[in-house]
Amino acid sequence: MLLALRDLGKTWLIKRTGERVSALESLTLDVHPGEFLILLGPSGCGKSTLLQIIAGLEAPSSGEIRFPAAGGNGKLTSMVFQDYALFPWRTVLGNIVFGPEVRGVSRGEREEKAQRLIDLVNLRGTEHRYPHELSGGMRQRVALARALANDPQILLFDEPLAALDAMTRRVLQDELLRIWGETGKTFVYVTHSLQEAVLLGSRIVLMTAHPGRIKRIVDVTLARPRHLTGRAEAEMLDQLDAELGEEVKRAMAL
Amino acid sequence: MTASHLRQIASVAGLLALWQLLIQTGRLSELFLPAPLSVLASMWDMTRSGELPWAVLVSLNRVVQGFVYGAAAGVFLGLLAGAVRWIEDVLDPWVAAVYPIPKSALFPLFLLWFGLGNASKIATIAIGVLFLVLVNTTTGVKSINPVLLKAARDLGATRLQVFTKVILPGALPNIFTGLRLGAGMALILVFITEIEATKAGLGFLLWEAFQLLDTRKVFAGVVTFGLLGVATTWLLQWLERVGCPWLQRST
Repeated sequence: MLLALRDLGKTWLIKRTGERVSALESLTLDVHPGEFLILLGPSGCGKSTLLQIIAGLEAPSSGEIRFPAAGGNGKLTSMVFQDYALFPWRTVLGNIVFGPEVRGVSRGEREEKAQRLIDLVNLRGTEHRYPHELSGGMRQRVALARALANDPQILLFDEPLAALDAMTRRVLQDELLRIWGETGKTFVYVTHSLQEAVLLGSRIVLMTAHPGRIKRIVDVTLARPRHLTGRAEAEMLDQLDAELGEEVKRAMAL
Repeated sequence: MTASHLRQIASVAGLLALWQLLIQTGRLSELFLPAPLSVLASMWDMTRSGELPWAVLVSLNRVVQGFVYGAAAGVFLGLLAGAVRWIEDVLDPWVAAVYPIPKSALFPLFLLWFGLGNASKIATIAIGVLFLVLVNTTTGVKSINPVLLKAARDLGATRLQVFTKVILPGALPNIFTGLRLGAGMALILVFITEIEATKAGLGFLLWEAFQLLDTRKVFAGVVTFGLLGVATTWLLQWLERVGCPWLQRST
Protein backbone atom coordinates (compact mmCIF):
# COMPACT_ATOMS: atom_id res chain seq x y z
CA MET A 1 0.00 0.00 0.00
CA LEU A 2 1.34 3.40 -0.99
CA LEU A 3 -1.07 5.76 0.66
CA ALA A 4 -3.64 5.20 3.38
CA LEU A 5 -6.49 7.61 4.07
CA ARG A 6 -8.28 6.88 7.32
CA ASP A 7 -11.58 8.43 8.27
CA LEU A 8 -10.76 11.76 6.61
CA GLY A 9 -13.05 14.68 7.10
CA LYS A 10 -12.92 18.28 5.93
CA THR A 11 -15.27 21.09 6.82
CA TRP A 12 -15.19 24.62 5.50
CA LEU A 13 -16.34 27.62 7.41
CA ILE A 14 -18.32 30.13 5.39
CA LYS A 15 -17.16 33.31 7.10
CA ARG A 16 -20.06 35.51 6.05
CA THR A 17 -22.77 33.31 7.53
CA GLY A 18 -20.77 31.36 10.08
CA GLU A 19 -22.05 28.12 8.55
CA ARG A 20 -19.96 24.97 8.54
CA VAL A 21 -20.07 23.01 5.30
CA SER A 22 -18.88 19.44 5.25
CA ALA A 23 -16.84 18.75 2.10
CA LEU A 24 -15.57 15.29 3.05
CA GLU A 25 -16.88 12.88 5.65
CA SER A 26 -15.37 9.70 7.11
CA LEU A 27 -13.46 8.83 3.97
CA THR A 28 -11.27 5.74 4.11
CA LEU A 29 -9.28 4.66 1.08
CA ASP A 30 -6.06 2.80 0.20
CA VAL A 31 -4.04 3.69 -2.86
CA HIS A 32 -1.98 0.84 -4.29
CA PRO A 33 1.32 1.17 -6.13
CA GLY A 34 1.08 1.49 -9.88
CA GLU A 35 -2.69 1.83 -10.10
CA PHE A 36 -4.68 4.36 -12.12
CA LEU A 37 -7.19 5.43 -9.50
CA ILE A 38 -10.10 7.56 -10.62
CA LEU A 39 -12.04 9.79 -8.25
CA LEU A 40 -15.38 10.22 -9.98
CA GLY A 41 -18.29 12.29 -8.78
CA PRO A 42 -20.50 15.32 -9.36
CA SER A 43 -19.23 18.81 -8.64
CA GLY A 44 -19.26 19.55 -4.96
CA CYS A 45 -18.40 16.01 -3.95
CA GLY A 46 -15.08 17.14 -2.49
CA LYS A 47 -12.85 15.25 -4.91
CA SER A 48 -10.61 18.26 -5.56
CA THR A 49 -10.45 18.90 -1.82
CA LEU A 50 -9.38 15.30 -1.30
CA LEU A 51 -6.62 15.76 -3.86
CA GLN A 52 -5.38 18.92 -2.13
CA ILE A 53 -5.29 17.07 1.17
CA ILE A 54 -3.28 14.22 -0.35
CA ALA A 55 -0.91 16.83 -1.83
CA GLY A 56 -0.47 18.42 1.59
CA LEU A 57 -1.83 21.74 0.34
CA GLU A 58 -4.83 21.53 2.68
CA ALA A 59 -4.99 20.02 6.14
CA PRO A 60 -7.83 17.60 6.92
CA SER A 61 -10.22 18.63 9.69
CA SER A 62 -10.20 15.11 11.04
CA GLY A 63 -8.75 11.72 10.25
CA GLU A 64 -5.35 10.61 9.14
CA ILE A 65 -3.27 10.43 5.99
CA ARG A 66 -0.23 8.14 5.81
CA PHE A 67 2.41 7.13 3.30
CA PRO A 68 3.40 3.78 4.88
CA ALA A 69 6.19 2.99 2.41
CA ALA A 70 7.99 6.28 3.04
CA GLY A 71 8.09 5.96 6.80
CA GLY A 72 5.33 8.49 7.17
CA ASN A 73 6.85 11.70 5.88
CA GLY A 74 8.58 13.17 2.87
CA LYS A 75 6.59 14.45 -0.08
CA LEU A 76 5.74 11.73 -2.54
CA THR A 77 3.18 13.50 -4.67
CA SER A 78 3.09 16.06 -7.46
CA MET A 79 -0.01 17.75 -8.75
CA VAL A 80 -1.16 18.47 -12.30
CA PHE A 81 -3.69 21.30 -12.10
CA GLN A 82 -6.75 21.75 -14.26
CA ASP A 83 -5.75 25.16 -15.54
CA TYR A 84 -2.11 24.07 -15.96
CA ALA A 85 -0.75 26.55 -13.38
CA LEU A 86 2.36 27.13 -15.49
CA PHE A 87 4.58 30.07 -14.57
CA PRO A 88 4.01 32.55 -17.43
CA TRP A 89 7.49 34.08 -16.99
CA ARG A 90 9.28 30.77 -17.39
CA THR A 91 9.85 28.93 -20.64
CA VAL A 92 8.82 25.30 -21.11
CA LEU A 93 12.25 24.23 -19.88
CA GLY A 94 12.17 26.72 -17.01
CA ASN A 95 8.80 25.41 -15.85
CA ILE A 96 9.89 21.78 -15.96
CA VAL A 97 13.07 22.37 -13.95
CA PHE A 98 11.24 24.35 -11.25
CA GLY A 99 10.85 21.44 -8.82
CA PRO A 100 14.45 20.20 -9.00
CA GLU A 101 15.65 23.83 -8.93
CA VAL A 102 13.96 24.65 -5.61
CA ARG A 103 15.16 21.34 -4.22
CA GLY A 104 18.76 22.26 -5.01
CA VAL A 105 19.50 19.85 -7.86
CA SER A 106 22.45 21.09 -9.94
CA ARG A 107 21.72 22.88 -13.19
CA GLY A 108 23.29 20.25 -15.43
CA GLU A 109 21.43 17.42 -13.76
CA ARG A 110 18.04 19.09 -13.76
CA GLU A 111 18.28 20.18 -17.39
CA GLU A 112 19.28 16.71 -18.47
CA LYS A 113 16.29 15.34 -16.62
CA ALA A 114 14.05 17.98 -18.17
CA GLN A 115 15.25 16.95 -21.63
CA ARG A 116 14.28 13.34 -20.97
CA LEU A 117 10.84 14.44 -19.79
CA ILE A 118 10.43 16.73 -22.79
CA ASP A 119 11.00 13.69 -24.97
CA LEU A 120 8.59 11.62 -22.88
CA VAL A 121 5.72 14.08 -23.29
CA ASN A 122 6.55 14.87 -26.95
CA LEU A 123 7.47 18.51 -26.53
CA ARG A 124 10.83 18.49 -28.30
CA GLY A 125 11.49 21.80 -30.08
CA THR A 126 9.34 23.90 -27.74
CA GLU A 127 11.89 24.14 -24.89
CA HIS A 128 12.35 27.90 -25.18
CA ARG A 129 8.75 28.93 -25.76
CA TYR A 130 6.67 30.66 -23.13
CA PRO A 131 3.37 29.09 -22.00
CA HIS A 132 1.25 31.67 -23.84
CA GLU A 133 2.92 30.56 -27.06
CA LEU A 134 1.61 26.99 -26.62
CA SER A 135 -1.76 25.36 -27.26
CA GLY A 136 -3.83 24.08 -24.35
CA GLY A 137 -2.80 20.49 -25.02
CA MET A 138 0.88 21.40 -25.07
CA ARG A 139 0.52 23.37 -21.84
CA GLN A 140 -0.93 20.34 -20.10
CA ARG A 141 2.02 18.24 -21.34
CA VAL A 142 4.38 20.81 -19.79
CA ALA A 143 2.44 20.62 -16.52
CA LEU A 144 2.74 16.82 -16.59
CA ALA A 145 6.48 16.94 -17.28
CA ARG A 146 6.93 19.52 -14.51
CA ALA A 147 5.12 17.25 -12.05
CA LEU A 148 7.22 14.27 -13.14
CA ALA A 149 10.48 16.19 -12.70
CA ASN A 150 10.35 15.76 -8.93
CA ASP A 151 10.13 12.02 -9.45
CA PRO A 152 7.03 11.61 -7.24
CA GLN A 153 5.61 8.18 -6.48
CA ILE A 154 2.08 9.46 -6.89
CA LEU A 155 0.87 11.90 -9.53
CA LEU A 156 -2.29 13.79 -8.65
CA PHE A 157 -4.46 15.03 -11.50
CA ASP A 158 -7.20 17.60 -10.88
CA GLU A 159 -9.46 17.35 -13.93
CA PRO A 160 -6.43 17.94 -16.15
CA LEU A 161 -8.23 17.67 -19.48
CA ALA A 162 -11.44 19.49 -18.61
CA ALA A 163 -10.41 22.73 -20.33
CA LEU A 164 -9.42 21.07 -23.62
CA ASP A 165 -11.45 20.45 -26.76
CA ALA A 166 -12.78 16.92 -27.32
CA MET A 167 -10.20 15.87 -29.92
CA THR A 168 -7.19 17.11 -27.99
CA ARG A 169 -8.63 15.39 -24.93
CA ARG A 170 -8.79 12.03 -26.72
CA VAL A 171 -5.18 12.31 -27.83
CA LEU A 172 -4.00 13.27 -24.36
CA GLN A 173 -5.94 10.44 -22.73
CA ASP A 174 -3.94 7.97 -24.81
CA GLU A 175 -0.74 9.86 -24.00
CA LEU A 176 -1.52 9.67 -20.29
CA LEU A 177 -2.03 5.91 -20.53
CA ARG A 178 1.26 5.53 -22.40
CA ILE A 179 3.13 7.62 -19.82
CA TRP A 180 1.43 5.77 -16.97
CA GLY A 181 2.66 2.51 -18.53
CA GLU A 182 6.17 3.78 -19.25
CA THR A 183 6.83 5.38 -15.88
CA GLY A 184 5.05 2.84 -13.67
CA LYS A 185 3.87 5.71 -11.44
CA THR A 186 0.68 5.69 -9.42
CA PHE A 187 -1.96 8.04 -10.83
CA VAL A 188 -4.76 9.50 -8.75
CA TYR A 189 -7.06 11.21 -11.19
CA VAL A 190 -10.06 13.43 -10.47
CA THR A 191 -12.70 13.72 -13.16
CA HIS A 192 -16.42 14.17 -13.58
CA SER A 193 -16.38 12.45 -16.96
CA LEU A 194 -17.74 8.91 -17.01
CA GLN A 195 -16.11 8.19 -20.33
CA GLU A 196 -12.73 9.28 -19.05
CA ALA A 197 -13.14 7.13 -15.95
CA VAL A 198 -13.96 4.02 -17.98
CA LEU A 199 -11.22 4.67 -20.56
CA LEU A 200 -8.42 5.32 -18.08
CA GLY A 201 -9.08 3.83 -14.66
CA SER A 202 -7.92 0.62 -13.13
CA ARG A 203 -10.15 1.45 -10.15
CA ILE A 204 -12.95 3.95 -9.95
CA VAL A 205 -13.97 5.55 -6.67
CA LEU A 206 -17.53 6.73 -7.06
CA MET A 207 -18.22 9.64 -4.72
CA THR A 208 -21.38 11.20 -3.35
CA ALA A 209 -21.97 14.90 -2.85
CA HIS A 210 -22.84 16.96 0.24
CA PRO A 211 -21.01 15.60 2.10
CA GLY A 212 -18.34 13.92 -0.02
CA ARG A 213 -18.27 10.22 0.78
CA ILE A 214 -17.33 7.08 -1.04
CA LYS A 215 -20.41 5.47 -2.53
CA ARG A 216 -18.73 2.51 -4.16
CA ILE A 217 -15.34 1.40 -5.44
CA VAL A 218 -15.37 -0.30 -8.84
CA ASP A 219 -12.49 -2.50 -10.04
CA VAL A 220 -12.15 -2.03 -13.77
CA THR A 221 -10.89 -5.28 -15.26
CA LEU A 222 -11.62 -4.41 -18.88
CA ALA A 223 -8.76 -5.19 -21.25
CA ARG A 224 -6.69 -2.32 -22.68
CA PRO A 225 -6.79 -0.61 -25.10
CA ARG A 226 -10.36 0.25 -24.32
CA HIS A 227 -12.95 1.63 -26.70
CA LEU A 228 -16.07 3.40 -25.59
CA THR A 229 -17.99 1.56 -28.31
CA GLY A 230 -17.04 -1.89 -26.99
CA ARG A 231 -19.83 -3.92 -25.38
CA ALA A 232 -18.21 -4.37 -21.97
CA GLU A 233 -17.23 -0.72 -21.85
CA ALA A 234 -20.75 0.35 -22.80
CA GLU A 235 -22.26 -1.80 -20.06
CA MET A 236 -19.98 -0.30 -17.47
CA LEU A 237 -20.78 3.20 -18.70
CA ASP A 238 -24.51 2.52 -18.42
CA GLN A 239 -24.16 1.21 -14.92
CA LEU A 240 -21.98 4.11 -13.73
CA ASP A 241 -24.26 6.55 -15.52
CA ALA A 242 -27.25 5.34 -13.54
CA GLU A 243 -25.41 5.54 -10.23
CA LEU A 244 -23.85 8.92 -10.93
CA GLY A 245 -27.18 10.26 -12.22
CA GLU A 246 -28.75 9.56 -8.86
CA GLU A 247 -25.95 11.42 -7.14
CA VAL A 248 -26.20 14.44 -9.39
CA LYS A 249 -29.95 14.67 -8.79
CA ARG A 250 -29.40 14.39 -5.06
CA ALA A 251 -26.68 17.04 -5.16
CA MET A 252 -28.85 19.46 -7.14
CA ALA A 253 -31.85 18.95 -4.89
CA LEU A 254 -29.86 20.33 -1.98
CA MET B 1 7.34 53.69 -43.77
CA THR B 2 3.57 53.50 -43.65
CA ALA B 3 0.97 56.09 -44.56
CA SER B 4 0.38 56.56 -40.85
CA HIS B 5 4.04 57.50 -40.30
CA LEU B 6 3.90 59.97 -43.19
CA ARG B 7 0.83 61.69 -41.77
CA GLN B 8 2.49 61.98 -38.36
CA ILE B 9 5.64 63.55 -39.83
CA ALA B 10 3.59 65.86 -42.03
CA SER B 11 1.59 67.00 -39.00
CA VAL B 12 4.68 67.99 -37.01
CA ALA B 13 6.62 69.48 -39.91
CA GLY B 14 3.58 71.36 -41.18
CA LEU B 15 2.76 72.96 -37.85
CA LEU B 16 6.39 73.93 -37.20
CA ALA B 17 6.64 75.48 -40.67
CA LEU B 18 3.41 77.43 -40.19
CA TRP B 19 4.63 78.63 -36.81
CA GLN B 20 7.97 79.77 -38.29
CA LEU B 21 6.13 81.52 -41.13
CA LEU B 22 3.73 83.41 -38.84
CA ILE B 23 6.66 84.91 -36.97
CA GLN B 24 8.76 85.73 -40.04
CA THR B 25 5.82 87.55 -41.60
CA GLY B 26 5.48 89.55 -38.40
CA ARG B 27 2.02 88.26 -37.42
CA LEU B 28 3.24 86.95 -34.07
CA SER B 29 5.69 88.53 -31.64
CA GLU B 30 8.78 86.53 -30.70
CA LEU B 31 8.34 87.80 -27.16
CA PHE B 32 5.37 85.48 -26.70
CA LEU B 33 6.21 82.72 -29.10
CA PRO B 34 9.77 82.43 -30.39
CA ALA B 35 10.18 80.80 -33.78
CA PRO B 36 11.26 77.15 -33.85
CA LEU B 37 14.55 78.03 -35.49
CA SER B 38 15.34 80.66 -32.83
CA VAL B 39 14.66 78.11 -30.09
CA LEU B 40 17.00 75.67 -31.82
CA ALA B 41 19.67 78.36 -32.18
CA SER B 42 19.31 79.31 -28.55
CA MET B 43 19.60 75.65 -27.47
CA TRP B 44 22.73 75.34 -29.56
CA ASP B 45 24.30 78.43 -27.96
CA MET B 46 23.41 77.23 -24.47
CA THR B 47 24.90 73.83 -25.23
CA ARG B 48 28.15 75.35 -26.52
CA SER B 49 28.48 77.60 -23.51
CA GLY B 50 27.93 74.57 -21.25
CA GLU B 51 24.92 76.16 -19.55
CA LEU B 52 22.35 73.66 -20.77
CA PRO B 53 24.38 70.45 -20.28
CA TRP B 54 25.28 71.57 -16.75
CA ALA B 55 21.64 72.30 -15.90
CA VAL B 56 20.59 68.90 -17.27
CA LEU B 57 23.32 67.18 -15.30
CA VAL B 58 22.36 68.85 -12.03
CA SER B 59 18.69 68.00 -12.52
CA LEU B 60 19.39 64.44 -13.67
CA ASN B 61 21.46 63.84 -10.58
CA ARG B 62 18.47 64.80 -8.42
CA VAL B 63 15.99 62.85 -10.54
CA VAL B 64 18.07 59.67 -10.67
CA GLN B 65 18.87 59.67 -6.96
CA GLY B 66 15.27 60.38 -5.94
CA PHE B 67 13.96 57.83 -8.41
CA VAL B 68 16.32 55.07 -7.32
CA TYR B 69 15.69 55.56 -3.58
CA GLY B 70 11.93 55.89 -4.05
CA ALA B 71 11.64 52.97 -6.47
CA ALA B 72 13.77 50.65 -4.35
CA ALA B 73 11.75 51.41 -1.22
CA GLY B 74 8.49 51.19 -3.17
CA VAL B 75 9.27 47.78 -4.67
CA PHE B 76 10.50 46.41 -1.35
CA LEU B 77 7.54 47.63 0.71
CA GLY B 78 5.07 46.84 -2.06
CA LEU B 79 6.21 43.22 -2.33
CA LEU B 80 6.04 42.79 1.43
CA ALA B 81 2.64 44.45 1.72
CA GLY B 82 1.29 42.31 -1.12
CA ALA B 83 2.62 39.07 0.31
CA VAL B 84 2.35 39.48 4.08
CA ARG B 85 -0.96 40.41 5.59
CA TRP B 86 0.20 42.11 8.77
CA ILE B 87 2.70 44.29 6.89
CA GLU B 88 -0.11 45.43 4.64
CA ASP B 89 -2.21 46.27 7.70
CA VAL B 90 0.65 48.33 9.14
CA LEU B 91 1.32 50.23 5.89
CA ASP B 92 -2.20 50.63 4.57
CA PRO B 93 -3.40 53.61 6.66
CA TRP B 94 -0.20 55.53 5.83
CA VAL B 95 -0.50 54.85 2.15
CA ALA B 96 -4.16 55.87 2.22
CA ALA B 97 -3.29 59.08 4.07
CA VAL B 98 -0.19 60.18 2.14
CA TYR B 99 -0.97 58.88 -1.38
CA PRO B 100 -3.55 61.59 -2.20
CA ILE B 101 -1.34 64.47 -1.02
CA PRO B 102 0.31 66.23 -3.97
CA LYS B 103 3.94 65.43 -3.21
CA SER B 104 4.96 68.98 -4.17
CA ALA B 105 3.06 70.11 -1.07
CA LEU B 106 5.59 68.23 1.03
CA PHE B 107 8.53 70.16 -0.42
CA PRO B 108 8.29 73.11 2.02
CA LEU B 109 8.35 70.64 4.90
CA PHE B 110 11.38 68.88 3.47
CA LEU B 111 13.10 72.25 2.99
CA LEU B 112 12.58 72.79 6.68
CA TRP B 113 13.86 69.36 7.65
CA PHE B 114 16.62 68.71 5.12
CA GLY B 115 17.76 72.24 4.28
CA LEU B 116 18.15 74.11 1.00
CA GLY B 117 20.54 71.65 -0.62
CA ASN B 118 19.96 68.60 -2.76
CA ALA B 119 18.59 66.46 0.05
CA SER B 120 15.20 68.15 0.27
CA LYS B 121 14.70 67.93 -3.50
CA ILE B 122 15.78 64.30 -3.67
CA ALA B 123 13.49 63.45 -0.75
CA THR B 124 10.50 65.08 -2.44
CA ILE B 125 11.15 63.17 -5.65
CA ALA B 126 11.74 59.92 -3.76
CA ILE B 127 8.43 60.21 -1.87
CA GLY B 128 6.56 60.91 -5.10
CA VAL B 129 8.09 57.88 -6.79
CA LEU B 130 7.77 55.64 -3.74
CA PHE B 131 4.00 55.75 -3.44
CA LEU B 132 3.34 55.17 -7.13
CA VAL B 133 5.72 52.22 -7.21
CA LEU B 134 4.46 50.81 -3.90
CA VAL B 135 0.78 50.88 -4.86
CA ASN B 136 1.43 49.30 -8.26
CA THR B 137 3.76 46.64 -6.83
CA THR B 138 1.15 45.61 -4.24
CA THR B 139 -1.49 45.41 -6.96
CA GLY B 140 0.92 43.25 -8.97
CA VAL B 141 1.43 40.80 -6.11
CA LYS B 142 -2.30 40.54 -5.51
CA SER B 143 -3.01 39.90 -9.16
CA ILE B 144 -0.89 36.74 -9.18
CA ASN B 145 -3.07 33.70 -9.77
CA PRO B 146 -3.20 31.89 -6.37
CA VAL B 147 -2.93 28.52 -8.10
CA LEU B 148 0.65 29.47 -9.09
CA LEU B 149 1.54 29.83 -5.41
CA LYS B 150 -0.03 26.43 -4.78
CA ALA B 151 1.88 24.87 -7.65
CA ALA B 152 5.16 26.31 -6.36
CA ARG B 153 4.54 24.95 -2.89
CA ASP B 154 3.49 21.60 -4.35
CA LEU B 155 6.78 21.43 -6.22
CA GLY B 156 8.69 21.97 -2.99
CA ALA B 157 9.42 25.71 -2.90
CA THR B 158 10.12 27.22 0.51
CA ARG B 159 8.41 30.45 1.57
CA LEU B 160 11.47 32.44 0.53
CA GLN B 161 11.61 30.65 -2.83
CA VAL B 162 7.90 31.35 -3.40
CA PHE B 163 8.74 35.00 -2.77
CA THR B 164 11.75 35.23 -5.10
CA LYS B 165 10.62 32.82 -7.82
CA VAL B 166 6.87 33.45 -8.00
CA ILE B 167 5.82 36.67 -6.28
CA LEU B 168 8.65 38.84 -7.62
CA PRO B 169 8.44 37.80 -11.29
CA GLY B 170 4.65 37.67 -11.06
CA ALA B 171 4.51 41.28 -9.90
CA LEU B 172 7.16 42.52 -12.35
CA PRO B 173 4.80 43.78 -15.09
CA ASN B 174 2.96 45.96 -12.56
CA ILE B 175 6.26 47.07 -11.02
CA PHE B 176 7.25 48.43 -14.43
CA THR B 177 3.94 50.27 -14.70
CA GLY B 178 4.76 51.88 -11.35
CA LEU B 179 8.28 52.78 -12.51
CA ARG B 180 6.94 54.46 -15.66
CA LEU B 181 4.45 56.53 -13.68
CA GLY B 182 7.17 57.24 -11.12
CA ALA B 183 9.57 58.53 -13.76
CA GLY B 184 6.94 61.01 -15.00
CA MET B 185 6.33 62.12 -11.43
CA ALA B 186 10.09 62.55 -10.84
CA LEU B 187 10.35 65.00 -13.76
CA ILE B 188 7.36 67.02 -12.53
CA LEU B 189 8.79 67.21 -9.03
CA VAL B 190 12.32 68.13 -10.08
CA PHE B 191 10.93 71.15 -11.92
CA ILE B 192 8.82 72.25 -8.97
CA THR B 193 11.63 71.83 -6.45
CA GLU B 194 14.05 73.79 -8.64
CA ILE B 195 11.88 76.89 -8.85
CA GLU B 196 12.82 77.97 -5.34
CA ALA B 197 15.92 77.78 -3.22
CA THR B 198 18.44 76.72 -5.81
CA LYS B 199 20.91 78.21 -8.24
CA ALA B 200 21.25 75.30 -10.64
CA GLY B 201 19.24 72.82 -12.63
CA LEU B 202 16.93 72.79 -15.59
CA GLY B 203 13.95 74.01 -13.59
CA PHE B 204 15.98 76.91 -12.23
CA LEU B 205 17.20 77.78 -15.74
CA LEU B 206 13.65 77.78 -17.07
CA TRP B 207 12.21 79.81 -14.21
CA GLU B 208 15.01 82.37 -14.25
CA ALA B 209 14.59 82.80 -18.00
CA PHE B 210 10.88 83.44 -17.44
CA GLN B 211 11.61 86.11 -14.85
CA LEU B 212 13.95 87.85 -17.33
CA LEU B 213 11.28 87.41 -20.04
CA ASP B 214 13.78 85.48 -22.15
CA THR B 215 11.08 83.44 -23.91
CA ARG B 216 13.55 81.67 -26.19
CA LYS B 217 15.37 80.28 -23.20
CA VAL B 218 12.09 79.28 -21.55
CA PHE B 219 11.24 77.33 -24.67
CA ALA B 220 14.67 75.76 -24.73
CA GLY B 221 14.05 74.54 -21.17
CA VAL B 222 10.61 73.20 -22.02
CA VAL B 223 11.94 71.33 -25.06
CA THR B 224 14.80 69.87 -23.01
CA PHE B 225 12.33 68.65 -20.36
CA GLY B 226 10.37 67.04 -23.17
CA LEU B 227 13.46 65.31 -24.49
CA LEU B 228 14.29 64.04 -21.01
CA GLY B 229 10.77 62.64 -20.72
CA VAL B 230 11.07 60.84 -24.04
CA ALA B 231 14.48 59.45 -23.09
CA THR B 232 13.29 58.06 -19.74
CA THR B 233 10.26 56.47 -21.40
CA TRP B 234 12.53 54.75 -23.93
CA LEU B 235 14.92 53.61 -21.25
CA LEU B 236 12.14 52.10 -19.13
CA GLN B 237 10.50 50.45 -22.13
CA TRP B 238 13.83 48.87 -22.97
CA LEU B 239 14.29 47.70 -19.37
CA GLU B 240 10.81 46.20 -19.42
CA ARG B 241 11.54 44.30 -22.63
CA VAL B 242 14.70 42.90 -21.06
CA GLY B 243 13.08 42.25 -17.67
CA CYS B 244 9.80 40.75 -18.88
CA PRO B 245 10.61 38.90 -22.12
CA TRP B 246 7.48 36.77 -21.76
CA LEU B 247 5.25 39.79 -22.28
CA GLN B 248 6.29 40.32 -25.89
CA ARG B 249 3.50 39.56 -28.29
CA SER B 250 4.34 36.92 -30.81
CA THR B 251 3.86 38.07 -34.39
